[in-house]
Amino acid sequence: MFEIDYAESGDIRCSGRLDAAQSAKAEAFLGRLDASRTLDFERLEYISSAGLAILLKTQKRLSESGAAIRIINVNKHIYDIFRYSGFNAIFEIETL
Amino acid sequence: MAGQAFKRSIDSVADIYRFSEDIMAAADIDESVRFPVHLAMEELFVNLVSYNPGARRDILIDVQIANAGVVVTITDHDAAEFDVTKERPVDTGASLRERKPGGLGLHLIQHMVDTLEYDYRGGRSRIRFSKEQGTTDV
Repeated sequence: MFEIDYAESGDIRCSGRLDAAQSAKAEAFLGRLDASRTLDFERLEYISSAGLAILLKTQKRLSESGAAIRIINVNKHIYDIFRYSGFNAIFEIETL
Repeated sequence: MAGQAFKRSIDSVADIYRFSEDIMAAADIDESVRFPVHLAMEELFVNLVSYNPGARRDILIDVQIANAGVVVTITDHDAAEFDVTKERPVDTGASLRERKPGGLGLHLIQHMVDTLEYDYRGGRSRIRFSKEQGTTDV
């Protein structure tokens, strides 16, 4: 199960497993962003290439208007995925 | 060895996770092995479903615990040939502007599992991979 919503801080909280079956939910939410935002991955357990594609698509779109997403509280396993994908060079990332 | 057949649907990904997680948790397999095993299973299954949409037969997945590691065999009896062991370079150093969404699945698998084998004959595709504890930092 994957959940995505706004925290009181305005950050976007992601939780659960962002896999191929859940990527449409992430895409629908992130597709509405039109300004820089922080994604809080503290409760995100897992991400696959389907989720990575949504993050990259969102970052590319936002960058056209000078905005960006920043990702915080990334667990070790997900950070390793980011590193193997080269995402650590195109996203500002903070690990747990 | 435990095996199960899964419908050719992206929605099967959650069932595959529960099936393999139960086996690995019961065997006390470390998260450093479970995470890449789940990732490789999902990526390979989604590839089989996505690149052969006309196929009908279920896809079989077997999970075997071996020492502190896991061996997974995925068999598709209704498959088009697609060698998952073939190198598919991704320019992970490209700029944001140059990067294109997609194409990372096999790249990740090839970095994260210890062995990856592919066998295709007579319309049957068999993929086997293994992951042992402590072999990569994922």
